[in-house]
Amino acid sequence: MSKRLTGATGTSLIGGTEARSSRSLPVLLIPIGVVGAALAPVPLWIGDSRVLMGVAVLGLAFACYAIGFNVIFGSTGQLFLCVGALAGIGGYGAAILADTVGLPITASILVATLAATFTGGLLSFIAVRRSLGVIFTGIVTLIFTLSFDALLLGLSDLTGGDTGRLIDSGAGTFLRDQIPPYYLMLALVLVFLLIHGLLRRSHIGWAFRALRDDEVAAELAGIDVARYRVYGALIGAAMLGLAGSTYAFTEGRLSPTTYGFGQVDVVVLVMLAFGGIGTLFGPIVGAVTFTIVDEILIEFGQLRQVAYGILIIVLFLRMPRGVIPTVASLWRRVRGLEGSEDSETTDSATGNLEVVSAESHSAE
Amino acid sequence: MLEVTGFSAGYQGNDVVHEVAFRVDPGEAVMIIGSNGAGKTTLFRAMCGLLSSSSGKVLFGGDDITGLPAERIARLGMRFVSAERHLFPRMTVQENLLLGAYPGRPDPETMSVVLELFPRLAERLRQHVGTMSGGEQQMLAVGRALMSKPQLLVLDEPSTGLAPLLAQATYEALGVLRQRGLTVLVAEQQVPLAMAFSDRGYVLENGFIRLQGTTEELAANPGIRSAYLGVT
Amino acid sequence: MIANILDGIVLGLQFGLLATGLTLVYGLGGVLNLAYGQMAVTSAMMVAFAMDAGIPALPAVGIGLLAGGLLGLFLDQTILRPVYRLHDEPRVLLSLLLTLGVSFIVDGFLIWRYPLKALTLHIGGGAVEILGVPMRRGSLVASAITLITFVALFLFFQRTTLGRAVRSVIEDEEGARLVGIYPDRMLRLILVLSGVLAALVAITRSMVTPVNTTSGLSITVFALIVTVVGGLGNVAGALLAGIILGIVSVVAADLIGSYISLIILLGAAAVTILIRPAGLLGVKE
Repeated sequence: MSKRLTGATGTSLIGGTEARSSRSLPVLLIPIGVVGAALAPVPLWIGDSRVLMGVAVLGLAFACYAIGFNVIFGSTGQLFLCVGALAGIGGYGAAILADTVGLPITASILVATLAATFTGGLLSFIAVRRSLGVIFTGIVTLIFTLSFDALLLGLSDLTGGDTGRLIDSGAGTFLRDQIPPYYLMLALVLVFLLIHGLLRRSHIGWAFRALRDDEVAAELAGIDVARYRVYGALIGAAMLGLAGSTYAFTEGRLSPTTYGFGQVDVVVLVMLAFGGIGTLFGPIVGAVTFTIVDEILIEFGQLRQVAYGILIIVLFLRMPRGVIPTVASLWRRVRGLEGSEDSETTDSATGNLEVVSAESHSAE
Repeated sequence: MLEVTGFSAGYQGNDVVHEVAFRVDPGEAVMIIGSNGAGKTTLFRAMCGLLSSSSGKVLFGGDDITGLPAERIARLGMRFVSAERHLFPRMTVQENLLLGAYPGRPDPETMSVVLELFPRLAERLRQHVGTMSGGEQQMLAVGRALMSKPQLLVLDEPSTGLAPLLAQATYEALGVLRQRGLTVLVAEQQVPLAMAFSDRGYVLENGFIRLQGTTEELAANPGIRSAYLGVT
Repeated sequence: MIANILDGIVLGLQFGLLATGLTLVYGLGGVLNLAYGQMAVTSAMMVAFAMDAGIPALPAVGIGLLAGGLLGLFLDQTILRPVYRLHDEPRVLLSLLLTLGVSFIVDGFLIWRYPLKALTLHIGGGAVEILGVPMRRGSLVASAITLITFVALFLFFQRTTLGRAVRSVIEDEEGARLVGIYPDRMLRLILVLSGVLAALVAITRSMVTPVNTTSGLSITVFALIVTVVGGLGNVAGALLAGIILGIVSVVAADLIGSYISLIILLGAAAVTILIRPAGLLGVKE
């Protein structure tokens, strides 16, 4: 009974476990619909403020980024520290295509998204070909991020360098209004959730779980681990590119800090660690929480980085699976539904972190 | 000198060695024999602090050393030469030997005793360990352990991977050391070698001590003779 | 060109010493310290504060070096405690994440409180000619100090018992334990040493160009690049990689541009990981 609730993917409040994959679509659509319904009325409350709406739109963009990263890291255990850079390929790519090359906006977004997808897939392909472990994958993708940043600064004619550039395309359309971008990004969020949810229920999702739980066993069972890793990277990178490029047009201006490591990757990591890596709604919980918290703490300016630092330490020491799963399993334990299964390692991403938490506690 | 009682140890909650008890008195040569997988390595590793035990006690020189980490036990006068030897590959023979005396200062007299015992090492003092043969590495492992002038030398299958002549030579060197007063505990799969060397022995099978006695007693035991000595 | 190469060597020596601290900690303890740059910057700031308070340069530098060592000790005693209970990959991962958190805390605080603070050590005197190129005294003094430090490190590791003991833990931790060496004490020593080295590099760097509170991240990045190219855990590799990359960096920046120079360095690290992960002088496992 408890196995079915926890599943092999680590605790997830709502979402795919082996037993549920045969259930029909509504089980997936209902919670997504709830999320949509919960987030839809936000403009009613803050729609007057351009600043706050901007924050909200950015928050939804981060939710998209977090879902994309969740697919790459949470599903296939690849530590891609290039979330911002992939979104940036989407954003800067689409902006340059639309303004400088003159493509229509939709086409620009499409091409830029494809570029990001290809890059993500390429990085993953290289990583699996060279059997890079988690650490080296992280280092290589970090190198990519830093190179992308240097490239943005270097090609200042195209990119506007340090100060960034304005995006002319889309000016005067609904994209730059106060409220429509919010619903545009919200639509993306819901679509991404749906894709991720369907993915988890599909045979691809089953392969993801298998390769996370035990890579060697998965290989022996005939799963081409390399191929599924690249699939995961392709899908996640596509999400990142699409979100990055769409966001660019709603924002109207870009600079290296829009997609920088410290501004995007770190934040997404914290959001996901908080909400729950590998869970379906973890990214939403994390993104909403931190958008609100960040806004509340806005007066503290630079000091917020201190808060993030403390948070990273606390999160990865105490709650490596994220707040939601930890609270959920505590709740289940209180109700007597689980034994000591919480310390079982699940996927390689959270698995490593679980080892961390379990072992650091066993010695206390 | 060494007394082990009720000792159980294993990996991740599963015991491989169960309630083992044995003793080694000063000046003795004691063997623990058993086939592959009997648990000899697990027993020694747990006893010497590389692995945690689940129950039992280890007394060395009257002091309770159960559960102490390997580095502490090494400083108390019990030196372990493991089957994998764990030498320092990119360091020279000389450096490996000098480190054997840690934390004390390397005693030149001890060094010359060791080199006298293993002349091949003296020839290769400046050579890097990684380039040496298995036999030479084994000699170095024993030599390194001796540099600290231990009271008890514990060896796990010293004949592993060695040609018969070399294994023989190793035991001969141990024999010389015995005559000079060293107490030795050895785990061995190659029973005849161990028997020629030891005074007493214990037989470990599937993690349990099944038999014990003097070498003569064990050699005369029909079960031992058929299982380990190939006599029918 | 010769000027570029000489400048490159000056920079490269610093790269090498910087990477030495990071690579030793990884090679011995399996810990990736992403707060390394912040250790360097904080130590440099201590020197700056001391000098502001009127303390003469030399004692102020001593304070900085002490601060670096203490920071290393602090990491060992606090943040890294939970990391030590793990081994291999989970250990590296957790150390990476926790030290990343520390780097944010330090950066956030320093940049918030002292956004414009910088350390600059002026070495008086005119330029000195080396191979026909006028070199600033600051660069020469910095390089001399760095070279002396390397020699001292070499003597320590090769000639002293303690240095040998440290090397043995890097070689084979279990073997070291079997001869009575305490790996955790050695790691503590190396962490303190890495802190001192970080401080030393920041201080000598300030003789060439100002070191300010925002430099933390780039210091860590450069240290990481050189460490990876030189081979994780390999001090000689760090020195060699440092000098090569230093020269490449200066030459590329002069010929092409500073952004491309950085990309080349990053590319070198990426190529190393992909083609020869053990690094220039690393041992293939």
